[in-house]
Amino acid sequence: MGKQMTEMLKGTLEGIVLAILAGQPAYGYEITARLREQGFSDIVEGTVYALLVRIEQRGFVDVAKVPSEKGPPRKVYSLNALGGDHLEEFWKTWTFLAERIEQLHHHIEPPKEEGE
Amino acid sequence: MATRWIELITGSFEDKKRWRQYKARKEQFPASYRTAIDGLERYFMYAGGIVKGDVLMQMLEDLADLIERAAADGTPIRDIVGDEPVEFADTFLQNYTDGQWLNKERKRLTDAIDQAGNDGA
Repeated sequence: MGKQMTEMLKGTLEGIVLAILAGQPAYGYEITARLREQGFSDIVEGTVYALLVRIEQRGFVDVAKVPSEKGPPRKVYSLNALGGDHLEEFWKTWTFLAERIEQLHHHIEPPKEEGE
Repeated sequence: MATRWIELITGSFEDKKRWRQYKARKEQFPASYRTAIDGLERYFMYAGGIVKGDVLMQMLEDLADLIERAAADGTPIRDIVGDEPVEFADTFLQNYTDGQWLNKERKRLTDAIDQAGNDGA
């Protein structure tokens, strides 16, 4: 995963994580593991955790503490109504952006080489 | 450096208690995880510029939650912070900008531009 991917992912990771949580509640490690399975091989747990802290602060998720075999209880995050609204807005923004970028991709010719 | 930050939070008894609890919690971590959390904590203290005791404590407690979980699961520290620890640390810090001293200057800049706009510039 290159530098460009990391940069682009910064703005979209929040939406991606909300979308994962819309499917089913999960804890940090599960979310990281799913992202890695889907090809985001460089994603680390700390980055996902920082994001979970943020969406919790903004009230997009509810948190349940589930006892674990060893160590402290795990925090399981689930999307709430406010988070659902935010996710919907994310998809609208994403669609707009993706369409515009596709247009640029298909309708603007790259500059031709000299002598062609 | 550490003393300055301890003094910073001695203003509030509650924050002071939280700070002691946080330090005691760190003592329970395996040595290598403690090395990691100490490194991150030091960076947060320098780069964070957080002057609100409660925000600072919230940040450190969130950090302890992460490292404690990693230690319990035996997750390698590299899988937590990645190849670029500074990038992770900066992302983490962004959650606590409420408590940064820089906020005063951000407000000052915003006010100056508002003033200029109102004066017709």
